[in-house]
Parts: sequence; structure tokens; C-alpha cells
Amino acid sequence: MPDNTTSASDIRRTGGRLVVMGVGGILALLIAAALLLFLTLPDSGAFDARVERMFVENADLTSQAEIKLLEILAQSGTAFADTLASYRLVIFVLLVFATGMMIAALVFLILLVGFNRRMAQIERAGIQVNSLLISREENTVYLNNLGFKLTDAAMETMSILAEARMDDDVLSGSEIEGMISGRDASNCEEAAGATRIKRLRDTLGNQIVSELLVKNIARRGYMLAVEKDVIKVL
Amino acid sequence: MTRFALTLLVALTCAGTAHAQCFADYKAKKDAPLRLHYGVAQIGGACSAGAAARELTPRLAAQGWTLLQVQSVFGPEGLDQRKNSAGQYYLRF
Repeated sequence: MPDNTTSASDIRRTGGRLVVMGVGGILALLIAAALLLFLTLPDSGAFDARVERMFVENADLTSQAEIKLLEILAQSGTAFADTLASYRLVIFVLLVFATGMMIAALVFLILLVGFNRRMAQIERAGIQVNSLLISREENTVYLNNLGFKLTDAAMETMSILAEARMDDDVLSGSEIEGMISGRDASNCEEAAGATRIKRLRDTLGNQIVSELLVKNIARRGYMLAVEKDVIKVL
Repeated sequence: MTRFALTLLVALTCAGTAHAQCFADYKAKKDAPLRLHYGVAQIGGACSAGAAARELTPRLAAQGWTLLQVQSVFGPEGLDQRKNSAGQYYLRF
């Protein structure tokens, strides 16, 4: 495969790698921030140590009132350190929330990119059937909720193909003919089944193309059902 | 006689110096919550700041205090001016 093309599996793989790298980066950021948070904030002993140094360095701080004041200073410092510890916890919790948000945003971003690519692929691939509903009473097949009217014979063929698909079976032309006519498959001709398939394709294909591509506007005429700007003539 | 008196005087002076009372004023702390005190204590051994610190550390530690610093050592003449500051820690340890 040439290098400049991508496939859906490629995208999924790069997407997964991007998510892992992004989540890893975010976690690394969180750990770095948490370390910074817990290492740089002073512990409760810092205030006591400062007061103690003041007490030792100033030789004339000896009267009882002054010492009492120093003790009160240290106590208020300790109270402040407790407040800081709770702040630190709050900041950490907010950090964890922010990281969760970032991870969620990253995952959604990757999903969005993936969906966009997938949408583009689907648009390019044309019709992709994600629902097939066979209504025997109305003789109608609904493909992606677009209804297509079939003849009785085509309806039979459609039902048999649908049943075989559900059992993961592949049917030959003679088997199809045999099931519809009720005879043994060995007594049926391959060509008869092929004719049934051709009729089904004709009626269904005609209706699908008229629904999706060549529209018939009543009493006015015919028009291509595509955007103007996607048409190019070489 | 004069010589004897002189000798006695010298001997007394020496003995007096050797047995002169020695005091130290110091600063100590207790952790969690921080408590500080300034105190005066009598020193039994050599009358120097280093010796006083060595002597005071175990005495204070017995009560849970940590010696921060020995400020100075002095004789009985320095007691009065420090008595007020030391308060309840005046000669307690």
C-alpha cells in the first residue's frame, strides 16, 4: 500500500496511540504539578523554626511578655500552616478534576476526528446499508428507511437471499430457483435463478438510483440529486 | 605571722574562687506546640558556657525541653537583674 494513503484501521491505530500519548502527557503534567504543589509549600514546622531562630538570635528577647508573644506568633503561624494544608488539598482536588476534564476532552477530540474521517469515507463510499427491512404485506423493502416497492417474484428472491444471509449461506442460481419453485435444486437450471436475480437487481437498482441520483419531480421533469459543487466534468 | 596570714588569704581566695557559685542563663524550647522559655540555672561544674550547655542539656531534656542556647555565665551578682525575666524558670532546673 502506498505511504500517502490511510485506511480505517490505520486511523484507529494512530488514534489509539494518540490517546495513550495524550493521557500519558496529561498524567505526567498532573504528577509534576502535584509534586511542585506538595514540595514547595512550607510545612507547619517552618513557622516554628523561624520563631525559634528569632528567639535565639535576639539576645534581649528574654522578658516573659516577649516570650509569650513569640509563642502566640508561632501558634498563629501553625494555624496558618493548617490552612495552607487544606488549601493544598483543595488545589490538588481541583487539579485532579482538571486532569479528568482534559482527558475527556482529548478522548472526545480523537473520537470527533475519527468520526469525521469515517463520515468522509461513508460519503465517498456511497450508500451503506445499515438497516434492511422486508415487509411482505406491503411487498416493500426498506433500505435505510427508503422504501422500494418490489414485484411478488422479486420479493420472493429478496426474502430467500435475506434468509440465506442470516444463516451465512451462499446460494447458487439453481438453489434459488429450487427454493422458490419448491422443486429439488438438482432439477432446476442455473439460468432460471440468474434471471430472478437479474430482475431483482433491475427493479431495486432502478428505484435506488431514482431515489438517490436521478430524481423525478412530478410534472416538471428529471434532476440529478447531487450538490452543484461536487460535479466536475473532465 | 604576716606570711601565714598572706598564705591563708591566698588559700581562702583560691578556695572561694573554686567554690564560687556559678549561674547560667539560657533559652530552651518545647515543640508542638512551640513553647519557649528563658531561664536561669545553677551550674555545678566548670563555669563556662560550653560546660553549662553540657550540664543543662540532660537536665532540661528530663522535662521535655530542648536547650537552644546558653546566653552567658555569671556569678551570684548577676542573679537579681535576671530574676524578673526568668520568672517561673528562675533556678528551676
